[in-house]
Amino acid sequence: MKYLILAYGSQRDYDAMAGRPTEGGPTWTPSDFEAMGVYMEKLNNDLAESGELVETRGLTAPVHARRLQLRDGVPVVTDGPYAETQEVLAGYWVVECDSYDRATEIAARLLKVPGPADYADAVIDIRPVAESRHEMDL
Amino acid sequence: MTSGLEDLLRELTPQVLAALVRRYGHFDTAEDAVQEALLAAARQWSAEGPPDNPKAWLITVASRRLTDLLRGESARQRRESTWILPEHYTPAPTTDDSLVLLFLCCHSSLSPSSQIALTLRAVGGLTTAEIARAFLVPESTMTRRISRAKQTIKASGVPFGLPADDRLPMVLHVLYLIFTEGYARDRAELATEAIRLARMVRRLRPDDAEVAGLLALLLLTDARRPARTGPNGEPVPMAEQDRTRWTAKDIAEGVDLITTALAQGPPGPYQLQAAIAAVHDEAPSYAETDWPQIVGPYELLRQISDNPVVDLNHAVAVAMVDGPRKGLALLDNRLDNDHRLHSVRAHLLEMAGDRTAARAAYREAARRATGLPQQRYLNARADRLAD
Repeated sequence: MKYLILAYGSQRDYDAMAGRPTEGGPTWTPSDFEAMGVYMEKLNNDLAESGELVETRGLTAPVHARRLQLRDGVPVVTDGPYAETQEVLAGYWVVECDSYDRATEIAARLLKVPGPADYADAVIDIRPVAESRHEMDL
Repeated sequence: MTSGLEDLLRELTPQVLAALVRRYGHFDTAEDAVQEALLAAARQWSAEGPPDNPKAWLITVASRRLTDLLRGESARQRRESTWILPEHYTPAPTTDDSLVLLFLCCHSSLSPSSQIALTLRAVGGLTTAEIARAFLVPESTMTRRISRAKQTIKASGVPFGLPADDRLPMVLHVLYLIFTEGYARDRAELATEAIRLARMVRRLRPDDAEVAGLLALLLLTDARRPARTGPNGEPVPMAEQDRTRWTAKDIAEGVDLITTALAQGPPGPYQLQAAIAAVHDEAPSYAETDWPQIVGPYELLRQISDNPVVDLNHAVAVAMVDGPRKGLALLDNRLDNDHRLHSVRAHLLEMAGDRTAARAAYREAARRATGLPQQRYLNARADRLAD
């Protein structure tokens, strides 16, 4: 079974990680960032070793996002469509594992990422992947 | 900054900008970000030497700067633009990135002066201050010109890719304009930059005979630069130039390029002009020039372009082959306000032995010439004919 694990962050979180002082939030030092990198790398290596990692990617800052919508039938692009504090997709993992609970266990490690940020309100989503159109019919 | 470092930065500029625009879009902001990264590199690398992978360093620094600049912008305004999916659009292979940038900078929605300024900055890696200096305008004027050009490109919504219509002739024309601006203003750095960019286009389009023709033309013309002005800045006509001061290396390269290009098929205008320049450059003296070899390409040029200056030069070549009266008969009054017509008329009348008419024509030419050295030269020619 494949699961998609989703992590979120706001532009402000990205700024903080880049060392930019943010209003009321923590500022990351290079060693904070390094520690997070080491933790993530360990997680990914563990998943690769167990054969459960299909793919994982981090996304660039939300300011680089483009949003495409129809306006009067014409596609219109909005650059950087998110508000500064809006939580948006920041990274994902596709894991292949035996059960939903195992995928949840993996996702739980993401909540233990070291760093100065306050994770009290952080959320991680886990979504079972549909393997085919027929599965969607069920 | 050492010239080695400067060459490295100039070479990397279009590659770094292309990498940014390809990945993130925002041609206008990305261009600013790259300029800032270049300045940072110039500072840091002068002191510490370039990093192991200078291109990756520049891309990283420019990307961070782009993110910062976009953050600042999006805080002020949401950027929204109509996106018209182009019907004919070929995603560019990454090897052609510099060419894609040239196509963007030479976009038809821009005026020639904007095309030149933007090309020099975005592809050439010159700073706004350097470009302003070369064009003798205040830096603030050049800053406005460049930012307007970028706004125009942004508003036109061109995607980052190779346009379906072949805009190569437009790119070649802009490079030619950069060169002639440098030539007319006696700014060697513009001529050098045009040659460097023409070499870059030639690397990207090695099989295009007109690209080879343009590079050959620029080299063969620039080769005469050391001899074309006298000690007081006065122009020295080709007939009187000290040919030992011409740059032999550039002549050899230009002749080589044009010889190969001409063998490829029917020549375009740059090849024809290069062929003419090659005949001049290879002649031991003005009198010993192979003039029939010059008349031929001029006749072909006249068939493909309606340019009074070409007609004028053709008339001179005909006069050198068939005598001054034949040349005089070909002069075209369309250039009546241009000192060049009157200079040529004076010169041919002098050749024909009509000193009085020649003197009057030199005076007429001097009256219409704009530069003082030019006026002084033409008046001196007239004085020489006084009885």
